Amino acid sequence: MKKILPVLLGVALWVTLALAQSTTNGKAREITSLKGLIARYNSESCKECHEEIYGQWEKSHHARPLMGMSDQIFLTRYLKEGPLAIKKGEKATRENLICVKCHLPQMLEPDVSDAVFEELAQAVQKGDKTTLRQLNIGCLMCHGDKAMVHGKAERGVIYGSKDIPEHEGNPVKKSALLKNPLICGQCHGLGPVLEFKNPEQCATLYGSYLHGYIPSGGSKSCQDCHMKSGNHYMPPNFNNRAETSALYKAALPMDVEVMGYTFQPKENEMYPRIVVKTKITNKAGHRIPDG
Amino acid sequence: MPQPGDSLGSTMVLGPDKKLGFLRDTSVQPFAPKEENIEIDLPAGVRDAVVKVALSYQPRPGDVYPIDEQTFPVHMDKFP
Repeated sequence: MKKILPVLLGVALWVTLALAQSTTNGKAREITSLKGLIARYNSESCKECHEEIYGQWEKSHHARPLMGMSDQIFLTRYLKEGPLAIKKGEKATRENLICVKCHLPQMLEPDVSDAVFEELAQAVQKGDKTTLRQLNIGCLMCHGDKAMVHGKAERGVIYGSKDIPEHEGNPVKKSALLKNPLICGQCHGLGPVLEFKNPEQCATLYGSYLHGYIPSGGSKSCQDCHMKSGNHYMPPNFNNRAETSALYKAALPMDVEVMGYTFQPKENEMYPRIVVKTKITNKAGHRIPDG
Repeated sequence: MPQPGDSLGSTMVLGPDKKLGFLRDTSVQPFAPKEENIEIDLPAGVRDAVVKVALSYQPRPGDVYPIDEQTFPVHMDKFP
């Protein structure tokens, strides 16, 4: 017993120290401001070596996920009225900002404090585009947290299509997910997001891919069409209207047949009739429209 | 297009903050071409017409992305 007691004390002391260490690390990692969030997920350091990819991404909707079409802050209306509106005299919480699940997924990391949600809501309400334009779905989202679904992404690791242990800054580990539609499907989703108090339904595209395209014999991935040659621009870009129209034209070829003749419904009645036959084919891997 | 409801009734709603389920879906599905026949009756005596077929996408009311436009001169006396 005399020998066991010091061992038990030793174990207890080690557990206490380990817990203290973990708490200290947790506090150190906690993000308490939008500035901290922007800094943590900043893609600028990637730009130094991956300038071309950065340039492609910079023009994409992923670089401005809080700005809707035509550079509008799409959340403004939702925080003002409707099921997600902030109640009078109350502060914004995660329940008001469930759109971040996909529009700013880093917000749902466990070390992002409630204060950041309040600050984000204030930025939306003030129309602070300078701040909101800095919040994006950058390199570290798809090459970090979203690159792993079987277990958690490792801290300090970047995920890519191959292992690069000597990669400057952080080692790169291979994640098969990066070439799989599921990495996109995590946000371009399945339908209702029922895990929130006020559930909503935004993106349904991956559901259409899984249940419409694949069962009909489709074999392409999201990346095959939206990331050709690894391009990170990932169209459509709804702010480029001509380009988006051209993309839709390629995805939805329309065949038209037109004929004119004289129709005779009764013995003494005749009039001209035109028959227009249209056929629209969907060459995309999902319903159109969808998102 | 997918026509969403709020899963509380059968009235269509606009806006992702209110959507929760579909009431109807008339979008173009992969591998399922959408065909339509449109018959246009004209006043007696008209022998020539021009038909313009336009396909567009409106993500929001009034916000139009043109996709395709085809024009056809039509003659009723093609086979005199």
